Amino acid sequence: MAKMIITRRDFLKAAAVTPVAGAIGCCCTGAASVPPRPGPSDSEAAAALQSAPRGSRVVLVRDRNAVAADRTPDAEAIQAMLDDAVTALFNEKSPAAAWKKIVAPGDTVGIKSNAWRQLPTGKEVENAIKKRVLEAGVPADRIGIADRGVLNNPLFQNATVLINARPARVHYWAGMGSCLKNYIQFVPKPSAYHDDACADLATIWNLPIVKDKTKLNIQVMLTPLFHNIGPSGFNEKYLWTYGGLIVGQDVVAVDATAYRIIQAKRRQFFGEDQALETPAHHIALADTRHKLGTSDPAKIELIKLGWMEGILI
Amino acid sequence: MGAGQKAADSRLASFLPADVLGWKAEPGDAVYDRETIFEYIDGAGEVYRAYRFRELLSRRFVKGGRPDLVADVFDMGSSADAFGVFSNDLEGDDAGLGQGSTYNAGLLAFWKGRYFVSLSADRETEETKAALFALGRSIAAAVQEEGPKPSLLALLPPEFAGPKSVRFLHSHILLNRHFFVSHEDILSLGRASGAVLSKAGTKGERGVLLVVEYPDPRTAAEAAAGFSKAYLAGAKEAGLVRTEDGTWTAAHLRGTVLAVIFHAPSDTAAREALAKIEWKAR
Repeated sequence: MAKMIITRRDFLKAAAVTPVAGAIGCCCTGAASVPPRPGPSDSEAAAALQSAPRGSRVVLVRDRNAVAADRTPDAEAIQAMLDDAVTALFNEKSPAAAWKKIVAPGDTVGIKSNAWRQLPTGKEVENAIKKRVLEAGVPADRIGIADRGVLNNPLFQNATVLINARPARVHYWAGMGSCLKNYIQFVPKPSAYHDDACADLATIWNLPIVKDKTKLNIQVMLTPLFHNIGPSGFNEKYLWTYGGLIVGQDVVAVDATAYRIIQAKRRQFFGEDQALETPAHHIALADTRHKLGTSDPAKIELIKLGWMEGILI
Repeated sequence: MGAGQKAADSRLASFLPADVLGWKAEPGDAVYDRETIFEYIDGAGEVYRAYRFRELLSRRFVKGGRPDLVADVFDMGSSADAFGVFSNDLEGDDAGLGQGSTYNAGLLAFWKGRYFVSLSADRETEETKAALFALGRSIAAAVQEEGPKPSLLALLPPEFAGPKSVRFLHSHILLNRHFFVSHEDILSLGRASGAVLSKAGTKGERGVLLVVEYPDPRTAAEAAAGFSKAYLAGAKEAGLVRTEDGTWTAAHLRGTVLAVIFHAPSDTAAREALAKIEWKAR
């Protein structure tokens, strides 16, 4: 195996965002070098799963038939994927039991979607969520689905529960269109959060309109976008059929997992040397700077369900 | 000027035809400025704001049963910044339009004068490709004036001046997109007049050259000192260091210009790259 070399560029990339930088050590600063942490053995991994905090459990569910060749999502397959994911996430025996841990009949539920024209969350995912929220006893007139305009939408203003669902895509400025970033519509001036490649998006999650209300995050990985070109950033050439959903309560863990898959796809497509995109450091900073959740893969309990071919993680 | 405003009063509208190969312009062009661009392209608007972007006009063309075409014409304020925005995306084949162009999978982009033009199809077909090229030719002909590339390009040694390798930028975030240096702005690009990044070799294996110009010598000296402290620690001679992967990084300041060569294969190659810079062009 080739020896891993940590360059000062690697260090500068890691130093701002992760506790790993300290573990790497760096010959350019004169800091004491610490050997890289070896990968966990099977028994260590099992122990880590046992001890992983509940909030950092993430379920990746995939179905090879979730999306047709023309990119049309299969509503039935997506409903089944969501059901399997929430059941596993809450360690329950049925989706209904799991959804009781997400919503109660007295809740007002805002489903924060994403309406980006080229790659939206999609009605199949939205309907799958809404169906289970209805079945959990929440009346239809207290369920809202929206993206832009949520700040002035009474259903979102009064929401007691938020469910956050958006498609995964790379992003010119933020690095990745993350579930964290999906709440940018809850602020009156989104550009106020653009500094340093959207480094502090996590602070949005402390605003009263959203704080502590999000019970489920769904990173839609049906056909993720792994590369930007052009002003809109979208081109069909850089979509791939992954057929997945990443579901969790810890938004940082969900995003960190999705980001790893996108990075893996970029390496697969471009090769190691050309995989640079704007680094999505807002995800790691949501952990290390803002303590919103867990970005360290070693601390995320990742449960994989369904189609394994080409899973990339 | 707000999003969606009729563009009848915009000069940009005069560059665009009403129809092309059977595609008709939808009524109601949209015009965006530095504040409203986010309504059109979300946070990616920062890429354009990182230059001297002034105004964008967007026009959609429709033809029954065919993918839509979208024409986005950006007034970048100067030809240097039109070139700069264009240089952020150099993927694709030369389309032979304007002062520089690419075509890649349904996206045709070119720059001419102070304008950057992006033409795209919702889905690529032979028909949409033909229409995009016809649209591009029409717009390129309508933009009368040409403009110079950034003057910093004149400093580049020939091996760093390849048309597919030169980027012009003002932001460390855009620098990191092409060559990661640091999350922090350790080169003070936010205070610079502009920077040129270029890779020699297919993937920069013969070095990555960054040439930054600052508005005055004092700012340049402060930037050089900051970079040296953050990046050149461990140097055995001033401004030259062998990094952890065995390659060499060197920096040289002259007046208002700071040049840095990263990833040079040897100390000699690093020194030579800096020596070959056309300093007399400044």
